[in-house]
Amino acid sequence: MEFRFFEIYRSQEYMGLLAEGAALSSALAIGSGLLGFLLAAVLSSLRYFEVPGLRHFATAYVEVIRNTPLIVQLFFFAFGLPLLVGYAWPFWAHALLALTINFSGYFSEILRAGYAAVPAGQVEAAMALGVKKLTLFRKVIFPQAVAAMYSSLNSQFIFLFLTTGVIAEIGVTDLTSAGLFIDSRTFRSFEVFITLTVIYILLALAFKALLNGAYYQMFQWKRAR
Amino acid sequence: MSELFTAVLGKPFGVVVYQLLAATQYTIYLSLIALIGGGLIALVITIVRTSPYLNAKRVAAGYIWLFQSVPLLMLLFLIGLGIPRILGVNVNPWLAASIALVVYASAYLADVWRGAVESIPAGQWEGARALGLSFLKIVRLVILPQAVRISLAPTVGFTVQIIKGTSLAYIIGFYDLMSIGKRWANAPVSGTEPYVIFPLMALIYFCLCFPLSVWARRLERRLGAVSSKQIPKLP
Repeated sequence: MEFRFFEIYRSQEYMGLLAEGAALSSALAIGSGLLGFLLAAVLSSLRYFEVPGLRHFATAYVEVIRNTPLIVQLFFFAFGLPLLVGYAWPFWAHALLALTINFSGYFSEILRAGYAAVPAGQVEAAMALGVKKLTLFRKVIFPQAVAAMYSSLNSQFIFLFLTTGVIAEIGVTDLTSAGLFIDSRTFRSFEVFITLTVIYILLALAFKALLNGAYYQMFQWKRAR
Repeated sequence: MSELFTAVLGKPFGVVVYQLLAATQYTIYLSLIALIGGGLIALVITIVRTSPYLNAKRVAAGYIWLFQSVPLLMLLFLIGLGIPRILGVNVNPWLAASIALVVYASAYLADVWRGAVESIPAGQWEGARALGLSFLKIVRLVILPQAVRISLAPTVGFTVQIIKGTSLAYIIGFYDLMSIGKRWANAPVSGTEPYVIFPLMALIYFCLCFPLSVWARRLERRLGAVSSKQIPKLP
């Protein structure tokens, strides 16, 4: 048994590939995280307002997303749907679409729990003041639900980020695919995947720190006086 | 059985459905191995993690942190490709996939169960100790029966994550629903286009996972939740 990590870090080409892969993985995770959050806000509000018809659609959507593996969803959006509907985007766009839809299912369920956590008195007070239901949702319920569920959303995002490696399977040149390429060149699988794992963990820790730091920026009323 | 499917569903499609369902059994076997193996390791880790021995507790906490942070895909690559290369031995995909999923499941289950044990009031420990019970007896007679009740719902919920997790094992050559489905989707046979096969596979996974999700939610409502909202759902 002999470890040869230097075969990776001495090569400028490999380090460049890893850096590019890490950047793409992060960018896709952030992009689909934000888009997924927006979609989740819409989906969960459909259920919150009990919009006839659409609320059942939202429920079914969330259940299907949460009860099927990401990789099956990914293959469907990358290989199945394009054939049926006739779109052919770059690989990363297919990954962005699949990840956005996947993230939205998980975020939606967390948000729904957040709405339930907003004290009923606030809703009653706002209604007594004659605030419209949509305004009430936008100004009172949604921000508080997000603040209440912030740590859940945060760790869910980190866990979802750690699973994005599967997008290498549809040809996206992300961090995992950079690792697989280096592995195929050097045959140092153990060293390569240890390196990848460390990069993934470091990125996850960075995301976590960043999101935790943003908490008081986003929810100023939570700041201790 | 195969003939029955082709008789009802026609030539290419009946064969496909039969093969997908036949391969699903390996998905179930792998999930069971991960659940049982992971559960046994998690039991030990939970006991260590909640024991009064500080250094042992740190090791258990480190184990949980490490294997919750390592992506399952990396675990599969490391055990399925990395270890064989570094040791110069062949590892059968069954063994590699089982080890990876057992380790993965054990870290999450240990964390769920630790939460359950810690949610039991300190008075229970103190009362049992005052009665002169040993640590293991306290665990077995007082803590476990209560902790099992509390952790049942999140454990059932986590089984869903295990089933979904097994879908990654095809990457290291494990034969299951995912691998046979992907093979059919790539095959140039009409009636097995990717937009037919992948929804079909999703349906099979859904039929495995959804009842468990519903059951977990029902248990949660009946037995109360252990801050299960803090346990992230894995895709």
